[in-house]
This record gives sequence, structure tokens and C-alpha cells, in this order.
Amino acid sequence: MRSLLFRTTALLIALGGLAACSADTSKQTVSAPAAKTAAVQKDAVYAPRQLVMRRLSGEQYQNVIHDVFGPTIELGGRFEPDLRVGGLLAVGSGDVSITAAGIEQYDTMSRRIAGQVVDEKRRDMMLRCKPANAAAPDDVCAGQVMARVGRILYRRPLSQTELQAYVTAANVGAVKTKSFYAGLQLSLAAMLSSPKFLFRTEMSEPDPDHAGGWRLDAYSKASQLSFFLWNSGPDQILLDAADSGKLNTRKGVAEQVERMIASQRLEEGVRAFFIDNFGFDQFETLTKDTTLFPKFSAQAAADAQEQTLKTIVDLLLKNKGDYRDIFTTKKTFITQELGAIYRIPVVDTLPNGAPDTWQPYEFAATDPRGGILTQVAFTALHSPPGRGSPTLRGKALREVLLCQKVPAPPAAVKFDIVQDTNNPLYKTARDRLAAHANNPVCAGCHKIIDPIGLALENFDGAGAYRTTEQGAKIDTSGMLDGVNFTNAAELGKVVHDNPATTSCLVNRLSAYAIGRPVQEAAWLDDLKQRFSASNYQLPALMREIAMSDNFFAVVQSETKAAATEAAPQREAR
Amino acid sequence: MRTYISAVLGAAALTVSLSAPAAAETRSYVVSWFGLATNSDEKDCPGGPNPGVQLQYLKSLADLGYNSKQIEEMVKKSQNGDGGEMFDALRNRGRMDGKPVSPYIYPATTKDPQWKAITGKQAFGFNLDGRGEATRNGFEDPQTHEKGVNNELYRALGCYISMRGSLSGRPTYWAWAWGQLKDSQPAWLITVDGADLSKDGPVTVTFDRALEHLKSNVDGSPRADATYRIDSDPRSHNSYRGEIKGGMVTITDHTDFRMLQNPLVAPEVKLSKAHLRMKLKDDGTLDAFLGGYQPWSDLYFSFGSGGIGIEQCVTGDVPGLYWLMRKHADADPDPKTGQNTTISATYYMEGVQAFAAQPMTPKVAGDAGAR
Repeated sequence: MRSLLFRTTALLIALGGLAACSADTSKQTVSAPAAKTAAVQKDAVYAPRQLVMRRLSGEQYQNVIHDVFGPTIELGGRFEPDLRVGGLLAVGSGDVSITAAGIEQYDTMSRRIAGQVVDEKRRDMMLRCKPANAAAPDDVCAGQVMARVGRILYRRPLSQTELQAYVTAANVGAVKTKSFYAGLQLSLAAMLSSPKFLFRTEMSEPDPDHAGGWRLDAYSKASQLSFFLWNSGPDQILLDAADSGKLNTRKGVAEQVERMIASQRLEEGVRAFFIDNFGFDQFETLTKDTTLFPKFSAQAAADAQEQTLKTIVDLLLKNKGDYRDIFTTKKTFITQELGAIYRIPVVDTLPNGAPDTWQPYEFAATDPRGGILTQVAFTALHSPPGRGSPTLRGKALREVLLCQKVPAPPAAVKFDIVQDTNNPLYKTARDRLAAHANNPVCAGCHKIIDPIGLALENFDGAGAYRTTEQGAKIDTSGMLDGVNFTNAAELGKVVHDNPATTSCLVNRLSAYAIGRPVQEAAWLDDLKQRFSASNYQLPALMREIAMSDNFFAVVQSETKAAATEAAPQREAR
Repeated sequence: MRTYISAVLGAAALTVSLSAPAAAETRSYVVSWFGLATNSDEKDCPGGPNPGVQLQYLKSLADLGYNSKQIEEMVKKSQNGDGGEMFDALRNRGRMDGKPVSPYIYPATTKDPQWKAITGKQAFGFNLDGRGEATRNGFEDPQTHEKGVNNELYRALGCYISMRGSLSGRPTYWAWAWGQLKDSQPAWLITVDGADLSKDGPVTVTFDRALEHLKSNVDGSPRADATYRIDSDPRSHNSYRGEIKGGMVTITDHTDFRMLQNPLVAPEVKLSKAHLRMKLKDDGTLDAFLGGYQPWSDLYFSFGSGGIGIEQCVTGDVPGLYWLMRKHADADPDPKTGQNTTISATYYMEGVQAFAAQPMTPKVAGDAGAR
């Protein structure tokens, strides 16, 4: 009975929520009639985009829940698979919905979270009010809770209609269950299952700074800023700035951007971008042959990702370094689990079985390792289960770090020579790829990806260093865009110096920020110049993106068809 | 390989200060297998190995005076889940002043079952007594072909089914024992220092206990290149001068060896006149034979402490082991009784390369930036 009541309540409110996405006019959130794009005031870098409705990622969902209710709340469910578009899940988040199975998962999580919030041990701290009678409805307390929580979850104030619906649901539940808290739990769970929470729905309004143009409304701006810089929903200060209209002024936006960039929470935003850009979600399905790579444990995989992220955060945020140096830096962090793969002594002082701790580590100047390309996260992720792969690594470097598209292999290609790592005729990967590339159909692509991948052949499929394969010395020399190198360290330097490296970051980060691939060359060029002028400081680039008019600029639906023509190719995860 | 060595050299800075003169290369290993060195064959026990524990029990019951009908009845009951009478009898088959006592605690109160010992001619080991071929009942080592090898512990135990095996086919008892030890006791470390371990020359070999347990890979195999802290407890610190020749390390100081162990198997491994033969292999592993004279009563009481459970499941007749070891003990006679108190023994070890580090001052968990 209780379960049925709960499901009915949640569903009704959730459906009501969907309707409210297009019908709630209590504030200023719905788009005004469309204007012709041609009428928009032009300037060199102004490039409006379409409104997007983006599903929260699992990480964002968790971050918001922890922001609202604290980090001890357990989610207890699984999220729907994401979709990678234009190299980013953040872009694909605008193209995904929720399946029936996904609804069940969100429903399960919402009930579990709401249960923890009203739990006897937590409720006083979480709810901040008490009902007059714990066995009966209480409009005042329920209203206070739902209004406060709803503002954070929906990233805007609830309309009176919305708030009343949730209070009513809480009251009905309280009557049926004879418990104020059980009723509140039902209503709160319904709010957590609502599309208004699960999706970032953008709303627009006319842009007074660009005649005929449109921009995100203040609350959508708050969300845009917050998910870009912190990978979470807006905090109270940001919502207050939206309430007051400050986010509709350049000064007000600047104040918030500076505050957010100065915050430690920027690290979460930076991490989220690189996790997405580097495709670290693929670690969830990464497997290694345990006979060939017995050190590559689940912990090693987790530590490998964290190592790369720590390296980046330390260099780019804590030391305000040059983005390009992530490809050459000798400084990193290490755990005992990774130490065994890297063959580095890592002394810890914790008891047996305790989780590893992180320690700073600097490779010697002559060490073959340096930069993220030589870290386990890159070499192991872009390798099949039983061997290393110059092809996959080269392709990843081209596509992820240089934003150069590599065509998919033609159908019915035979990979038997490449995969036969015990072939006495072709002892090294270079030998095998040379034999494979005798096929002219394959040669074209391999010519652009193999030479850079072969530079990383000193690292096996799990990222451990080696100098020989089947007893034959490994040759790591090659060329990238006309520049020669002899080993992985030199490849890192070549990538560091390649103009496509920084250009690619600008492309990816701006696409990540606005949720679609950026095709406006002028805006990108402007960002690239500013990035260069900042000595390639990542926070500076994030600031430039967040402060640009394009970050909030939108077009109306009439132009959708035109935009769709240039829609990016979707990629499988 | 060059890089690997450089990594090891990097680790050398962490390793304990050793007495090797001008040591330029240090390699440390963590022991990944420890057990009695065995090389059983089809002919080394006349008429085959000793019977399994069920038949040993029948003999014990007969020795206690039960007739065949009584034994048959007890066995039947046991097979139907009522083994109380039989196991009570076995659990108290010692006789002290005519009264039943535990045969595990008081093995000398049992009747010597006269179980067989090895009569084969080969056993891994060393010429511990220095007599060479003049040694009475000396073995020939199957690897070195040295004659006059002393390994009476292998002789004593080697016809027990649970103690039979080879270097690769682990004896049941020692496989069980190592399975218990590796996850429950601090790992053992071996460090070799020399000028250049790829060349012949003097070395120093050091055995230490770690503070960490042996670390394993995802497939259960021992993890190479893991880091261990050296336990500063001097009871488990053993350092010997030695030499490396053709990749084989031997020690020239034949002093005592002592290493603390999990009491489940033995509180400690103690050997006098320690001998070592250790092969450092190109794949980064080692195998080693460690021999010496071991107090056999220590070893017996480790078997005995397991009681009837270990006896049934792993070793076989425990008091029988007592009688065998007592009979074959070959050194250090008790001045009063003349009974030899130690027995020549050789253990086989395997190891994988590791980093051995001096322990650091404990720090607060998480201060290294754990996420």
C-alpha cells in the first residue's frame, strides 16, 4: 500500500513536472516569440546556440545531492549509460532521455535518498523545522523544506503551483501513513524523480545587448556557470545573484565567475572536464588479461585515472602551470598499487589492508616517463586486453588531444597479423603493423596514427615499462605532423609544441561548456588568442569562456533546422 | 633492463644500510614460497608411502588395545556421523601413568607406530656436518650432485603422504601451511648487495621481516616490484657474507638463521650452521635452498598444536611425526640424555623482486592527499 501510494505520488508529480516545463509562466522563464537570427546584432565572435535540455550525469547528480543533503547520503543505484557526441559526454547529455529501466533506477535512488533525509538521526539537521504533530500533516514545515530543497534541486525557486503540489503530496502522504515524515519522504522522493531535477532545462529571454538576440535567463545562466565550473548545481550565492538580476549584468557575472574560479570547487569542474574529454568512463569496461598483466587490478585502474587527474590539477590549478606541460611534466603522484606497475618504491606507513595513500613523485630527467601520455591511464586505457596497441594509442592522441578525426577502419579488415604477438616473423608491434599496412586499404590511416602510437611501445598493455618485445629491441622513433622524435619523452615535447594541442583544448572546453560542438571559428579564434596570451593557463581559459557573450547566447527554434544540418556525428561510447 | 636496474638502484637508497663493501647494486626480493625442499619419487619409500590417516588411525586404535570388532563398530558409527567414541579414543591415545592424555601434547606417551622414513638416495640440501661422503646415510643433492648432503628432516617426514612432493608439485602440508602464512604473517625479505650482481664476486645477503604481508596480484600470484618496509626487530635480521658465481649466490658465513613466523606453522624458523644456495633469475625471480640444523621439537609442537583437526585434514598421524623426527635427529645431542635436539633440514624458497625500505615515522592517514 505504501509502495503503491509512493509510486502513484511520484508519478503524478513527475508527470506534472513535465507539463510544467512548458507551461509554468509564474516567473519569466518561458521563451518569448522567436526572432529571426538574421536580425541579431552581429559582431565578430557572437555565436548563439540552441536551447538544450541536458540530463545530469551521474557525477552531477551525486554532487547536487551531496550539496543539498551532505556527503554521507548514499545514492544506491545505477545511472543510465551516457552518450558521447563530438568526443564529449557533456555534448551527448543533450541528446539522451531516460529509459523505463532508468526511471526505475532514479525512483529507487530517490526513495533511498529521501528515506535517509527524513531518517530519525538526520531529520533535525536536514529539515531544519519540526512539525507540530509528527503524526499529522504540517503545511508550514513541509512548505519550508520543499521550498528550500526545491530551489537547489531545480536550480531556481519553485513556483507557487509547484510548491503547493509538493506540500499537498506530503500532506496526503502524512494522512495515509499517519506520519509527517513519511509523507514528506514521499513528496521529496517525487521531487528527486522529477525531470526538472534530472534534466537541466534551459530557458531564454531577449538579449538587450544583442538586438534581436536571445540569451539564457538568469537561472539558466547560474546553472550553466555552475555545471561548467564546479560540475554541480548553483549554490545559494549564485541563485541569489540570479534572483537579484545580477547575473544579467556583465559585472554581476564577473563577480560570480571570479568567486567560482577562486573556489576549491573549481577542481571538481576541471576534473569533470578531463574525465569526460579523456574518456575515463571507458575504464568501467576496461579489462586486462590477468595472466599477461597480473598487476593490473581494479584498484590500479582507479588509481591510474586519479594519477592523471592529480597530475593535471596539481600542474594547472595548484601551480598555475602551462596546459602544454601536462605532456612533459616529470611530476606526478603515486600509490603503492601503481608503484608496482611503474617499478617505483612507494613507502607507506599504514597498516596492512588500509587504502593506499597518494604521494608526490618526480621522475628523473632521464626517465622515459614524463607527461600524461606515458602514464598508465593513457597507455592502458588505449590498449586491448592482451597487448599494447600503437594504433589505438595513436588514434586516441590524434582524436582526443589534437582533435583530428581518424576514419573508422574499413569493414572486413583482417587483424590477425597485428594481434599475433607471438609471431616469430614479426616480433615487435612495429613489424606487425608494417606487415598489416601492406594492405593499401589500411595503409592510409595507419600512416597517420601508428608512428605516434609506436612511440609509446615501451609501455605494455598495462602501462609497464619494457625495452624489448619477444627479445627484439623496441624502436620508438617516429614523426608527428612533420616533427621527428625518438621516444615517448620526445613525443611529449612534440605534442607540447604542436599548435593543435592548445587549439584542441579550446575546442573541447568550449563545447563542454555550452553543450554542443563549437563551429563558430571566430569565437574559437578569439578564445585561442586569449588562451595563448594567458600562457595557456586553464583557469584563464575557463574564465574567458564563462565571460563571453556566447556562453549564454541562444537562438530560437526556427533556426533549429539549420543547426541540425550541421549536427555532429554521434559516437558509440 | 638498464632502466629496471636504475629503478632498483633508486630503491637502494631506501634499503637498510648493509655491511657489504662499496655495494653498487642492491636487489631485494620478497619470499613468495617457503616449504620443506622435497623431491619424492616412486622408489624412495620401500613398499610405498605410509598409509593415509584413516588407516593410521586403525593402527592407533589397535595399539590402544581395541579388537577388530570394536574398531569396526567405532568406524561404522563414525561413518554414520557418530564418531564421538572413536575420536575421543584417538584424541586421548597417549598414556601417562596408565591414564589417557593428549597424544599431541605428550607424543612420547604414545607407542611408536614405526612409520617408514625415506630410503631414497637423493635429497636437496647441504653438507652441514662437513663430513662429505663420509656422512652416514648422506644424500646426493639432485641439482648440485654433491654427496654427503644432510637432510634428515626430509628423510623423517618424506614418506608421509602429506609431505610428499617436488619443487613444483607442492607437498600438501607445506602448500596448506604457506597458504596460511602468506596472508597472515609479515613477508620475508631477501636483499643481495654486491658490486655488480651480473658478475661473480662477493656479496652480502640479508634476510629481514617486513611490516607488510606478501602482496598478491589479481590472479593470486605474488606481486613483483611492490614496496615493503623492513621490520627493525633484530630477531628477524640475518646478514651473511657470501659470493655470487654464475648467478648463484651462496653464503660463506654459516652462522645462525632466525626468522619469526606465524605460530600456526612454527613460532619461528631457527637454523644453526645456515647454508644458502640462491639463484637470481633473469626474469626477476629467485629460487633458493636454505639449510641448517633445526630444533625438531619446535617443529613437532607446531604440528601438535593443530591437534586432531590438522592431523585429520593435513598432516596425518601427528605423534608418528614426533617419533620419526626424534629417531632421525642428527645433531646437537642433549648432554644428559644423548638425544639429538636438532635435525638437518633444507627449505626451498621462491621470491619475486621487491623494494625493501626502512620504515618511516608513522603519519596521519590521509595526509598524503588521499581522495
